[in-house]
Amino acid sequence: MISCREVIEQLWDYLDGELAPERMEEIAAHLAECARCYPQYRFEFSFLEAFARHREKLPGPPQALVERLRLLIVT
Amino acid sequence: MAESPARTAFAEEALTHLDTLYRGALRLTRDPDQAQDLVQEAYLRALRYQHSYQPGTNMKAWLFAIMRNLFWDRFKGSRKEDVSLDDVGEFVLYDKLRDEGAKPEADVLDKLAASEVVAAVEKLPPLHREVVLLVDVEGFSYKDAAQTLGVPIGTVMSRLHRARQQLQRSLYDYAVESGIVRASGTSQVPQQ
Repeated sequence: MISCREVIEQLWDYLDGELAPERMEEIAAHLAECARCYPQYRFEFSFLEAFARHREKLPGPPQALVERLRLLIVT
Repeated sequence: MAESPARTAFAEEALTHLDTLYRGALRLTRDPDQAQDLVQEAYLRALRYQHSYQPGTNMKAWLFAIMRNLFWDRFKGSRKEDVSLDDVGEFVLYDKLRDEGAKPEADVLDKLAASEVVAAVEKLPPLHREVVLLVDVEGFSYKDAAQTLGVPIGTVMSRLHRARQQLQRSLYDYAVESGIVRASGTSQVPQQ
């Protein structure tokens, strides 16, 4: 049985989906039942979400660049 | 220029990553005109070195690596020195909110201004900032970020962890200053 300490130690890697599948499952099962770890998991999940939203703040490439690159490298 | 079907297919696939590349270029150069120049040059170089791309590996990471190297070589002339960040605790924002007696609920994060989130990223040292932008913003895996940056995965992980600590520290300071979080009891609220 995985401990709270182990879960918190690996929380970033879990949130990033970077652990082995069995470990991901173990932590998911622990979080589903642990009143202490789950709120912290939710909090850190939201923290990372705030930065993912950062992506939407920047404009996409100008159409002129898209067309120029097509001319230069595709046609 | 007349192209072979394989070259055209390669170029078409490369162009599917243009959005990510352009956003990355904007963050590196902070200037839309320079970003366009950098992206264009990166694509031309990618085509020239197409033979060095291994099919089946991550093309986005490969393109990003070309662009990043170009940026440092052409636009900056040299690579930035790494700056170490202090260890302020792995989950400093959550821990501090809890210790201050505030309820560390996720909606605290929703109240943070988007501009403050951007500012917190901007304050990071360059080599830490780029890891956050690749992994947290663009969704790169540790492996792809390592390939892009030309460093071991362990380096990506350690920079990412320290950068997140620093981001949490910055956001905590902002949350206290802006009144989103109020300390209760006799807890001392750090002034910076």
